[in-house]
Amino acid sequence: MTFLEKQTDPTTPMHWTGDMQADYFYSNGVAGDRFFKHLMKKDTFLASECPECGVTFIPPRLYCEDCFCGIPDDKWVEVKAQGVIRTNTTAMIDAHNEPLEEPVVMALIEIDDTDGAMLGRIKTDMLGMDLAGLMVKAKLRPRKDREGTMKDILYFEPY
Amino acid sequence: MNDVAIIGGGMTVFQRRLKETGKELSYLATKMALEEAGITKKDIDMVVMGSAPDAFDGIHQKGENLLDGAAGAGKPYVRVFNGGGTGVFAPIAGWWHVASGVADIALVVCEEKMGNCYPHPQTAFRHIWDPILDRPLSPNLVWLFAMEMNRYMTKYNIKKEDIARVAVKNKRNAVGHPCAQLPDENITIEDVLNSEMMAWPVQRLDISPPSDGASALIFCSKDKVRQFTDDPVWVDGVGWNIDSTMWTNRDLSFPRYVANAARMAYKMAGIHNPRKEIDFAEPYDPFDYKELHHMEGLLLCNKGEAPILTREGVTERDGNMPMCPSGGLLGVGNPIAATMGQKICELYWQLAGKAGKRQIPTDPMVGVGQAWGDIMQMATVAVLRRG
Amino acid sequence: MAEKIEGSPGYAPGTRVSTKDIVENKITYTWWEPEVQYSWSLGQAMSKFLTGLKKGKILGRTCIKCDRVLVPPRMFCEYCYGPTDAWIELKDTGTIETYSISYLDSDARRIKKPILIGVISIDGASPQHGFMHYFGEMSEKDIHIGMRVKAVWKSPKDREGAITDIKYFKPLEGGEKK
Repeated sequence: MTFLEKQTDPTTPMHWTGDMQADYFYSNGVAGDRFFKHLMKKDTFLASECPECGVTFIPPRLYCEDCFCGIPDDKWVEVKAQGVIRTNTTAMIDAHNEPLEEPVVMALIEIDDTDGAMLGRIKTDMLGMDLAGLMVKAKLRPRKDREGTMKDILYFEPY
Repeated sequence: MNDVAIIGGGMTVFQRRLKETGKELSYLATKMALEEAGITKKDIDMVVMGSAPDAFDGIHQKGENLLDGAAGAGKPYVRVFNGGGTGVFAPIAGWWHVASGVADIALVVCEEKMGNCYPHPQTAFRHIWDPILDRPLSPNLVWLFAMEMNRYMTKYNIKKEDIARVAVKNKRNAVGHPCAQLPDENITIEDVLNSEMMAWPVQRLDISPPSDGASALIFCSKDKVRQFTDDPVWVDGVGWNIDSTMWTNRDLSFPRYVANAARMAYKMAGIHNPRKEIDFAEPYDPFDYKELHHMEGLLLCNKGEAPILTREGVTERDGNMPMCPSGGLLGVGNPIAATMGQKICELYWQLAGKAGKRQIPTDPMVGVGQAWGDIMQMATVAVLRRG
Repeated sequence: MAEKIEGSPGYAPGTRVSTKDIVENKITYTWWEPEVQYSWSLGQAMSKFLTGLKKGKILGRTCIKCDRVLVPPRMFCEYCYGPTDAWIELKDTGTIETYSISYLDSDARRIKKPILIGVISIDGASPQHGFMHYFGEMSEKDIHIGMRVKAVWKSPKDREGAITDIKYFKPLEGGEKK
C-alpha cells in the first residue's frame, strides 16, 4: 500500500510543536526518607544489610532484591561518607547536549564498608584521566542548609 | 496450551499518596503473594510487570525502575502496558507465560504512583490526547468520559440517579476491604447527585480517586499446582481487543471492543451463555457509569439494561449477579495498573473463599474481571473458575 | 516491614502521606520539573487538513471501498487498510454527537465559567465522522445531542493552520436541514 497522493507544496505546514509539562513530587520512600533524614543531621551515610546474604546496600533499601526478604531495623548501619572510585568520566556536555562551561568529573564511588556505590561529582583538576582507585570523601552542605535530597552531597573530593 | 491456576495474591493499601517508592510498594505486594502461595523468589520462573503511563510516576521506562522490588532481578522480566487495560492485561500476560509452557510459575506485579504527578495526575493525562487536533483545545481527560457518559445516558434514556447507585454500592462494598481508600457505609444517592460538578454529567463522586498502590498474583502450571493447593482457581479464558483510535468517529454508547474481548475470553472458557454461567463480575469502574457500560459490553445484560438491574439490586453483593464485590475502583481506589487487586486478585480471593467480609454468600464458581483503557478503546477480560 | 494487615490473606500496609506532611516537611522528597519540547510531524493528511482550516475549509478524505468520508482525514483507512482515495471539501456545519459542560481546566483546576465541549459530526462526512471542539453562543440549558451547529471562524488574518482556527461551533440558524 502506498498513499495515493503526496503533498509537494513546501509552504504547507509541516510540524506542530508543544511540550509535555508536568512537575513531579518523588517521595524518597521509606528507606530513602530514613537515609536522608539521617544525612540532614549527621555527616555519615546509612546503609542496610541483608540478614540472609549479608550484602550491605547503599543507598539503603527496605528489602534484599536477591533473597527477597525485608531488612530489619537492627541491620541498618552507619558508615563513613567516603569511598573509592570504581570508574569515572569527564563530562564536557550537559543534559541538553550543550557544552559545559567547565568540564565536570563524575564517578561511581564504592562506599567504604558497604557493597554499594553511588554516583557523585568529583572536585578535582584531573580532567580526562582514569581515577579508579582514588580515595574520596563527601563534601556536604552546611547542616542548616540541608534539605533531604541528593543535593545535600555537594561533591566528593580526594583525601 | 497448558492449564493455568492462580496460587497467591497480594496488594498494598491504596491511598492518594504513599510514602513508599514504587519499588517498595512492588516489594510489599509481591511479598504478600509469595507468602500466600508459600513460595520464595527462587521458585519464580518469570516476572511480568504491569504499570500504566510513565508520566504518572514521572520515571521513564519505569518497568526497569520497579524491577528489583518486583522480584525481577536476574529473571526473565517484561513490562506490559495498555493504559487502564493493564490491570487485567498484566495477568493475561502472566497466564500466557505459563500457558505457553515457557514458565511453570510466573509472578505478575502491578504498580502505580499517581501521587507523583503535579499539580494533578490529570496533567499527565493531557499528554495522551492527539497533539495536533485535540491538545490545542486544552482538554481535560474527564471530558472524554463525560462525553461518553452523556452519549450513553441519552441513547438509552438513563437517569443520573441510576448511575449514582453504582458509586453508592461500590463505596459501601469497599467497607469490607482492608486496602480501601474511599469506603463509605453511609453514602447515599443524594450525596453523589449533590457532589461537585466536574464536567457535566460527571460529578466528583462519580469518579474513582487517583491513588498509589501495588498488587501481585502468582500463576502456576497444572503440573505443579498440586504442590501448593488442593483447591486451585483456574484461569479459564482471556481476551483483549482495541477499537479505532479515531474516537470522534465512533458511537460511544456501547463498548463493542469490550464485547469482542469478552467473546474471545468466553469462547476460550467454553462459556456459551454468560448471563447464566457467570456468577459474579468485576467490571472496570473508574466512573460509576463505566460499570454499567461494561456489564453490557461483557454481555451480562442487554444494552441499556444494566442501570435497571442495578436499581433492582441484582448487582449487590448478595444479589443474583454481584458486580464489584471488592468495592471496585470507586471504593478501593484507582492506581491504574494496580487495580489488578480489585479486578483479578478479588476474583481469585472470592473463588478461593478468602474474601473475608467481602465474601459473596452464594458460593460462586465462575467470575469475570475486566479492565478498560487508552482513549475509550481498550478492553481486557479474564474468566476465572474454581475447582 | 512486610507485615500483613491483621487477619487478612494478602494485604500489605503502606504509609499515607498527607499534604500537611509535605508542607510541614515531615517527609523528605525530591522535586523535579522536566523540560521537554516536541515537534510533531503533521504528516500528509494533517498538513492538508490544517492548510484547509487556514483557508476556512473543512476537508475530508474518501475511502471508496468502505464508502466512507473520513473526518479527521487520513491517508489510509483503518478498517479496509487500503489507501484513501480523494480529498473532498465539506460544509462547516454539523450535528452535536455528544458534549460535556466542564468546570475543570486541563490541570483539573476548578473554573467558574464552564467550557462547552463536544464532538461534532460534520455535514457531508459519514455518520459520526467529525472532531472535538468548543461550543459558543448557546447556554448550558440549550445544548443537546442532535443540535445543529455551524463553525465560527477566526478572521483570515488570524488563522494559522490549527484546529483553533475555528473558534467554536454555534447554533445553526434556519432549521435542521443538512
